[in-house]
Amino acid sequence: MKNSEPEKFGAHSRRTFFKTIGAATVTAAAARARTMAAELEKANDERVIGPNAAPVTLKVNGRTVRLLLEPRVTLLDALRNYSSWTGAKEGCDRAACGACTVMMDGLPIYSCQKLAIEAQGHAITTVEGLAEKGNLTSIQKAFVEKDGLMCGYCTPGFVMSITALLQRNPHPTADEVKHACAGNLCRCGTQPRIIEAALAAAGVVAERSVKTEVIDYA
Amino acid sequence: MNAFEYATALSTDSARSLVSDQGMYLAGGNDLLGLLKDYLVPSPKILVNIKSLPGMDAIQPGDKSWTIGALVTVAQLEHNDAIQKTFPGIHDAAAEIASLQIRNVATVGGNLAQHSRCWYFRHRDTVCLKKGGDLCYARHGENRYHSLFTGNTCISPVVSSLATTFAALDATVVVLRNGVETPMTVAELYHRAWENPLAHNSLNPGDLILRVEIPTTRPRSAYMQVSDKHAFDWALVSCAAAADISGGVLRSPRVALGSISPAPYQVQAANDFLEGKTLDDAAASAAAGMILKDAQPLESNGYKVPMAHALIRRTLMKLKG
Repeated sequence: MKNSEPEKFGAHSRRTFFKTIGAATVTAAAARARTMAAELEKANDERVIGPNAAPVTLKVNGRTVRLLLEPRVTLLDALRNYSSWTGAKEGCDRAACGACTVMMDGLPIYSCQKLAIEAQGHAITTVEGLAEKGNLTSIQKAFVEKDGLMCGYCTPGFVMSITALLQRNPHPTADEVKHACAGNLCRCGTQPRIIEAALAAAGVVAERSVKTEVIDYA
Repeated sequence: MNAFEYATALSTDSARSLVSDQGMYLAGGNDLLGLLKDYLVPSPKILVNIKSLPGMDAIQPGDKSWTIGALVTVAQLEHNDAIQKTFPGIHDAAAEIASLQIRNVATVGGNLAQHSRCWYFRHRDTVCLKKGGDLCYARHGENRYHSLFTGNTCISPVVSSLATTFAALDATVVVLRNGVETPMTVAELYHRAWENPLAHNSLNPGDLILRVEIPTTRPRSAYMQVSDKHAFDWALVSCAAAADISGGVLRSPRVALGSISPAPYQVQAANDFLEGKTLDDAAASAAAGMILKDAQPLESNGYKVPMAHALIRRTLMKLKG
């Protein structure tokens, strides 16, 4: 894939940039090289990138990855298919199901409806980034204990939504959990157990919301 | 999604020149990427990220009017205590928009400029009237979510609940058009959708919503919607009302409805009728009747008439606090 030549990278090369700010400034700027570099970066921020692949730097789960991506590549696609973070799932790919939920700077978002190139400079957390040294978080453990999943496809999304909720509100009510998870769908119908898991992880004692009715057809 | 170029604009001037005549602005991207993935709009040559434009992400209180920048997210609106106190209708509308994941990135400007949710428009294989075809399929097809009023043949309704609320609050939407700040009422912002089936709003290519200015003349405001689902759903009918109440009577009352017309639906006669009235169920009911008088229900959306009637009454009564 052919990218722009380095010297012409963006609207301002180093040369044109110095030209625009004038020679006097250049002399003065020698002592402020760091500021200048920042200024140059800022000026180049308006450069046109793509449509071919261009370098994109993402911060995912505390790691920095450099990828070569077309601007149209979504964050979800970048995570799953251009890296190997497959925790976020592709369901609808239309910001409607929540399977792709990740956190961006601590806020849950749909990674399917966010361009990877836009996510640069933000801290991305996927479900893989939660467990430290293989130790599940209390929320993940609660999902296991409360059997908060059936097929499991939506689970990473729910875990991310609940993790974000408990970071802001450590002791939510069942309604607050429902509100936080309204953007996540579970086709298997495990929501009652997911809510239980969230409340259990938060140490909130709630009435058991799953009532199993045994139907006697005899 | 076809390939496109990408740039981040740092000033409105450069945003406009970068977007040129074949580009589109990118803010939250929720609606835009959906449109591009299904090829519902001509593929843009470039997406210009406008999220770094200065001064457009703030909520600024003022004596006579408040300013909400177009890049303020719906979540910011929802969680702003001062907004909740001063414009409860805006808070209530923001809180019901989509899901948390969407509210965290969706912007006020994008909410106002979003495209039709009509399932015929959204179907990538259907070329309906709104996409330049010959027929409005909804008119004789599945129209349970569609309009009771329209000024043209297309019956796709406006779905921006912020637009409904801003209409009731008599807000001004400031649009940058050809380098000139152009103030528009909400009615003006959607007038083209009312009369032209191809339009979703009155914005021209390259127009950029900068901010919304909301007069403080109506300290009471309310927003309510009815949806199929309790959360994360589009409104079947939404209603916003705003007024000042002094000495027990309504001053400058306004009612606007969403999801039943291509533009937020307002009837001046009903606002005039409510002026100076004591707010009670009889007055609210009479106003609702005036607003819905000319409704033209189709095969499957007739339920919206009584639903809207009830919602207007409830929303007006909510103004009492």
